[in-house]
Amino acid sequence: MGHEVPEFVVDGLVEQTPEGPRLIGTRCAGCNTLYFPQKSSCANPGCDEKSPQPAHLPAAGTLYSYTIQRYQPPSLFRIDDWQPYIIGLVELGEGVRVMAMLTGIEEDQLRIGMDLQLVTQPLYTDSEKGEVRTFKFAPTGKFAPAGESA
Amino acid sequence: MRPVYALGAGAHPWGKWPDKPQVQLASEAMDEALADAGLRWSDVQGLAAASSRFEGGMGWGLHANELVQTVAEQGIPCINVGGACAAGAIALQTAYALVSSGQYDVVAAVGAERMPKGFIPRPPGSADDRTDDDYLRWVTMGATNPAYWAIEARRRQHDHGTSDQTLARASTLMRRNASGNRRARYRDPISEDDVLASPMVADPLHLLQICPVSDGASAVILGSEDFVARSGKPGVRVAGCAIGSGQFGDPARRIPTIASTVRDDVSHTSEVTGAVSRAFEMAGVGPEDIDLLEMADNTAWHLLAWPELFGFYEPGKGDWMLEQGKLSIDGDLALNPSGGFLSFGEATTAQALLQVSEVLWQLRGQAEGHQVPDAKVGMTAVLGLGANGGSVILTR
Repeated sequence: MGHEVPEFVVDGLVEQTPEGPRLIGTRCAGCNTLYFPQKSSCANPGCDEKSPQPAHLPAAGTLYSYTIQRYQPPSLFRIDDWQPYIIGLVELGEGVRVMAMLTGIEEDQLRIGMDLQLVTQPLYTDSEKGEVRTFKFAPTGKFAPAGESA
Repeated sequence: MRPVYALGAGAHPWGKWPDKPQVQLASEAMDEALADAGLRWSDVQGLAAASSRFEGGMGWGLHANELVQTVAEQGIPCINVGGACAAGAIALQTAYALVSSGQYDVVAAVGAERMPKGFIPRPPGSADDRTDDDYLRWVTMGATNPAYWAIEARRRQHDHGTSDQTLARASTLMRRNASGNRRARYRDPISEDDVLASPMVADPLHLLQICPVSDGASAVILGSEDFVARSGKPGVRVAGCAIGSGQFGDPARRIPTIASTVRDDVSHTSEVTGAVSRAFEMAGVGPEDIDLLEMADNTAWHLLAWPELFGFYEPGKGDWMLEQGKLSIDGDLALNPSGGFLSFGEATTAQALLQVSEVLWQLRGQAEGHQVPDAKVGMTAVLGLGANGGSVILTR
């Protein structure tokens, strides 16, 4: 069976495109500021237009900093087979920095400044929704461009 | 605008107090502050309270009303302010404005909190969709608060070469300071090895480098010059008192957002640096004049980074200052002589008022067991959810 529209942890954050997954943010038509996630307005005090338009963010970035979440977060975070995981802060250009889980890399390979690309991966399987995915970043070239790594 | 004085302060010891409701903690802190100021409840002309989301306040954050209805119903204005972990600073700013304007002569600010066990639950009414930052950080990646601070700490290690050992030393300094402070919850000295041997929470931060949560309450009474003599203690002036919110483009990894748009020319933790700058300006003093700084040390990283952000010394120098003992109680800048959040645990809405209380006692020479020698000028700095910052400068 081919891949249907994937189920994500929350609607409106990420979507699958022919070029691979893309984060959905907004760009202000007035001052050109790029935001993630989507905003209902523009927070730039110097912008009078405040005209947020949906926009894709770059799918490639660099690692700005990171940590390892060593203990299990509260139950609102659902994951199958919990174990400590890496959370990175990824610089995507135009000043946008996004936090996300990192995948396809071991702790001792982490280097601030390394190239990363957006991917999506299943977090858990829900009895009704089936496989539910979140967005992550992985070392560039680690996974196929479609980013649909298992 | 007329001069405003800190007339008295009180603080219930920090800890876990399951048998005392929040309003009782508040009442005891107020009683101590009144005694410290040489005043009675009937002298208090207004009350500003930090609103808690956890307990009391009739469910509407009406903590000032609740307190006066419990201990002294006398028709005074009750003002209840939100500001999360900075709410105490906003209450104090409110009291300051009421006195400096000349409208009232004696106004108290109070904050009291009993923290829930375990993870702080999401507030009622929060949307479970992409418009709610707190929801997003949990469902997309399970990013706990320590993960945010750890990302800052890791970046500092990259930028300035801060060692794990130095980050550990920051925690040992807080415990050493707290060892003589009867109000602190954790007073046993710890070694750097103890810190590094405690469980890793979010690399590079260990358990003993992250503030726990506590129950506590604090009150500060402000007033005009006419009331200073009542206490029989040296007069201490509120020379600077400022609050602020964040700036667009702030590079801080702000809890609970999952992303930000950063601008190069904007200060890190701008809600606090903005308040600090305004407090300096009001008081007509600079970092070189400050004898002690009581700041929100949610983690060991904050102790290294914040004084740099406030302009006390250049970025990266905090490590050297700590190593050289210059941040100790008898050093150039006594950093959290109380022992800080790391030794008290955070009782969110009470914390900023505890900081001001500590500075007042230090300037009067009342900080038994942890007194900064000949302290004349002290400063506080605090941060709260929603990008709330507050800073106070007291002088004698």
